[in-house]
Amino acid sequence: MKTVMIKAHEAWLATLMAGFMSTTKNKQVLFDFSDILFRHFTWLEHELIDLGESYSYDRDIIPIKVEKLSDMLHDIIKRLDEIDLQLLSSPDKDLNGRISSDIKYMTKVLSHMKDECITAFSMERKFPGVVLSQEATDALTLFLFEETYKEYELIMIYNYLKAHSTDAYLNRIFQILIDESFFHLKSFGDMGAKMGVLAVPRIVMKELYQVEDVVQFLKDGINEELAAKEECKKLSEAVSKDSPELEGFFDFINYQENYHIALMKDALAYFAKENNE
Amino acid sequence: MTMDAQLIEHMMNPKNYGTLEAADVEGIGKNPDNGEKVAIYIRVGKDEDELYIDDIRFQAIGCTTTVVAGSMLTEEAKGLNFNGVYNLVDATMNLLDKLPSEDAACSEMVALAIKAAVDTYEERKKNPDYPPITYMVTKSCVPKDEEYKTENTKEKE
Repeated sequence: MKTVMIKAHEAWLATLMAGFMSTTKNKQVLFDFSDILFRHFTWLEHELIDLGESYSYDRDIIPIKVEKLSDMLHDIIKRLDEIDLQLLSSPDKDLNGRISSDIKYMTKVLSHMKDECITAFSMERKFPGVVLSQEATDALTLFLFEETYKEYELIMIYNYLKAHSTDAYLNRIFQILIDESFFHLKSFGDMGAKMGVLAVPRIVMKELYQVEDVVQFLKDGINEELAAKEECKKLSEAVSKDSPELEGFFDFINYQENYHIALMKDALAYFAKENNE
Repeated sequence: MTMDAQLIEHMMNPKNYGTLEAADVEGIGKNPDNGEKVAIYIRVGKDEDELYIDDIRFQAIGCTTTVVAGSMLTEEAKGLNFNGVYNLVDATMNLLDKLPSEDAACSEMVALAIKAAVDTYEERKKNPDYPPITYMVTKSCVPKDEEYKTENTKEKE
């Protein structure tokens, strides 16, 4: 079961990365499939929790440096076939049937996808239609690496918190934060691919998502969001001369952090109320 | 951080990232100011009575600079005997003053984690239950101009 969950985690990320690589109508299909695979991952995680088995979000390195999309698609199909096979050992037969049915459809669609040449690893670091100074290019590159990882980390943390909570109010907050981080991850991953520096976010350390003190985590999280706002502001200023479009985008991301802060403050207030503080 | 192709390659595909299932020991480098840390896992080999790093992995709670430093230094450390590892750590520590402060703190954290792993191995020879050693960085992660700004802001407040 643990192995199936790890493989679902890896298949989700591999499919998401393929979505970033694509520049055709394949992109949306790959994003949709990656969302489905993420949900498979959470279903399997819940099964492990129900069975009382310990687990982690550790996984293998996912090689993605390909020249053709078809190479990546073959890899994803292989991953999905392995999951399908290993599901046989899982106790929840209804869940296995549902996942298996999805896999059969997805592998069929993936095997018929039109091939594409991939430029997501060119390292050219040129944003289409925009000429950035060297300083702005370096700042944008660093920002994309930092934030792509950060959004993935947040998805894993909030997902873990949600998986271990039965509180509807908190789970609503965690789900919105997951959704927000998905949007940011997809935005930054897409930009990374356009810049030719696409990379799989690194594995998140256990102590980050196995949160011992949620209140402290939320307090730290608010400070991190405030720091992220500053980073967005700096980046917006760095690219403003060269690209009003990118400037507008980073201002938008900056103001979006206000939602995250508001949600975390709500969660903190809820914890305080629960503890009669 | 100025970027060249080699640096970007380390950012895109950090070498030796992750845990090592068959690790003999773990060592930690930590920044007490911001909670950032690096964990180094090593498997030790023996060649004609000489101990060496047979395999190495690292994980980080930190920034991209830390990951790049981890990728570079673990590649350097792999295959070195323990004397070679201590020389690598010393050479890295001697370079820190030439680096921007935020880069220096990240490199120091990785170097100290490698030293902590090897020191833990040596301690385990005497006491098999010896816990993983943690070393704290001495460099500040805050760039000097930022430190100046922060201090000035505090004074005005």
